[in-house]
Amino acid sequence: MFDLIIRNARICDGTGAPGYVGDLAVRDGRIAELGPGPTLASAEAHRTVDAGGLVLAPGFLDPHTHFDAQLTWDGLAQPSLEHGVTTVIPGNCSLSLAPLRSAHREFLGAVFRQIEEMPKSAFDAGLRWTWESFGEYVEAIAPGLGLNVAPLAGHSLLRLFVLGYESRDRSSTPEEVRALQDLLRRSLDEGALGMSTSFSDVDHEFRPVPSRLATLAELDALCAVLGERGRPLQVLPEFWEADLLRTRIDMLAELSLRHGIPVHFSPLFESEATPGLVEAALERLELQARRGARVTAQMQTRPIDITFDASQASAVFAAMPLWMGTLMQGPEAIRKAFSDPSTRKALVADSETENRPIALSFTLAQTRLSAAKGASRSDVGRTLGEIARERGVHPAEVLMDVSLAEDLAARFTAASLAHADESKVGPALTHPLVQIGAGDGGAHVARFATYGDTGHLFARFVRANPVFDVEGAVKRLTKDIADAWGIADRGRLAKGLAADLVLFDPDTIDRGPEELAFDLPGGGDAFRFVRRARGVKEVFVAGTSVHRDGEGYSQARPGAIVEGPSR
Amino acid sequence: MKTPEPVRRYVHPEPGEDWPALAQRVGSALAALQSWNPHLAIRPPPVVLTPIDVVFVEPPRPDDA
Repeated sequence: MFDLIIRNARICDGTGAPGYVGDLAVRDGRIAELGPGPTLASAEAHRTVDAGGLVLAPGFLDPHTHFDAQLTWDGLAQPSLEHGVTTVIPGNCSLSLAPLRSAHREFLGAVFRQIEEMPKSAFDAGLRWTWESFGEYVEAIAPGLGLNVAPLAGHSLLRLFVLGYESRDRSSTPEEVRALQDLLRRSLDEGALGMSTSFSDVDHEFRPVPSRLATLAELDALCAVLGERGRPLQVLPEFWEADLLRTRIDMLAELSLRHGIPVHFSPLFESEATPGLVEAALERLELQARRGARVTAQMQTRPIDITFDASQASAVFAAMPLWMGTLMQGPEAIRKAFSDPSTRKALVADSETENRPIALSFTLAQTRLSAAKGASRSDVGRTLGEIARERGVHPAEVLMDVSLAEDLAARFTAASLAHADESKVGPALTHPLVQIGAGDGGAHVARFATYGDTGHLFARFVRANPVFDVEGAVKRLTKDIADAWGIADRGRLAKGLAADLVLFDPDTIDRGPEELAFDLPGGGDAFRFVRRARGVKEVFVAGTSVHRDGEGYSQARPGAIVEGPSR
Repeated sequence: MKTPEPVRRYVHPEPGEDWPALAQRVGSALAALQSWNPHLAIRPPPVVLTPIDVVFVEPPRPDDA
């Protein structure tokens, strides 16, 4: 007697091998049997599913998320799970929520909210800090997990724990380096898969995050600890400039070679603002791979769209120092600046920069007014350039005028800022040194939806502009990621492996349209952008159904903390 | 296989080093050094340079991407 049998499925096992119609059986959370044809015709199970020829694949892995906070109130990482994602890796870019001394919670919360763009109301209402060590964080989230989590320990957190607030200002002493190493060892022992670091994030006061105050020697010492267990390092480099990125690739390759560790950096963007960057980075990765280095680039599947309002700073203004400085000062100062003739003139001039922030092809003229409740409502959907021409003013003035008229609540959407040319993105996604990821799940919640990149891969790069067959796309979302991160018992369909499964229709799987969801802790006006799944019929974690199309989420919480490799 | 030539020659700042001290250490004019490193030139104080930063000590090469 099995717990579950799925019959008549098109089994794509994650290896890229041709799919076949067959059956799969689960017992005790593991794949017990699978094979072609009516392999299990006479077998019995507590539940039998007729797949009707739909694709049965390993659950997808999302290697770049920031679900650290959300997992404390939502162990399903909604809506990622309903897209077929059964394992997530949070704690990227030097930021996790542990280890963390209780005295540093307020500071870390401010940093996390700034970088991951999460409303304070949701963070405060949803998060119940009960931990200091990494193990205590894992214990806090584990009982509620509906999907699997392979968390990283953030380098900035390690530094904050050991150096306190001085981690923002200085490098470490030799004694502190040893303490950092001990803390990382302990965190790995207590459930961390690996470590993340950042060379480019800034905190809520626009100061470099603590990981950036480390010396290369400190980072090397921490990589030595990762090397003791063959654990991965994730890095956010200066991804927007080719020379810098290639130099970082060389640096990461040395760390990989010296310590025998995999290193994953993210993101790698295709953008008309940085022509040739992807090709240059891939060439460098290939060069270092020939030396034996294991460095891969994470690349997302979706184009970059960003929604913003004028009540606070946004990344789209990164190359406009006056705009950035103004928007950092809060609503009252912003209203005053937008109303002052001389400041308006200076802001218009500042918006004329030809610099492109972090590889984004951002222009105010092409930005659309996407939400307004007052007098500007009739202009929703139009670009600021169109409105400006009609009014005989500059697009920057339209943004200021509409924002003032809407009490800074009007929203603007800059679409396809990068990564939108599918003729270039598609081939890059097939590169063996590119890992599909960088989706940022759980972050930037009021800027764009970070869910459904998996469905988008099938919709755009299997069906519309094919660079993969179904089996190839499944492999990229499963085995390739599991292998890259040393996750041994997931990512494939084979006897004895974890029964993380997704049943989907290859002709319709996709992400739905971006929509507002008012489901954040604390309620009120706080919202996030989500995309619902299409074409995903059922998702199983450890053989237990956790989401079924048309029925929603089950009450089961079969998720687990994923064990990393050991030497 | 030997270590490949760097894309551009670079250094890391010493802990606590500022632009004038770094320019002196690498023997470059401050203005030139900053022009080769626009990613660092606009960073506001108090933390102007960090030890993990990459500071190029030569201009972009003509065949760069």
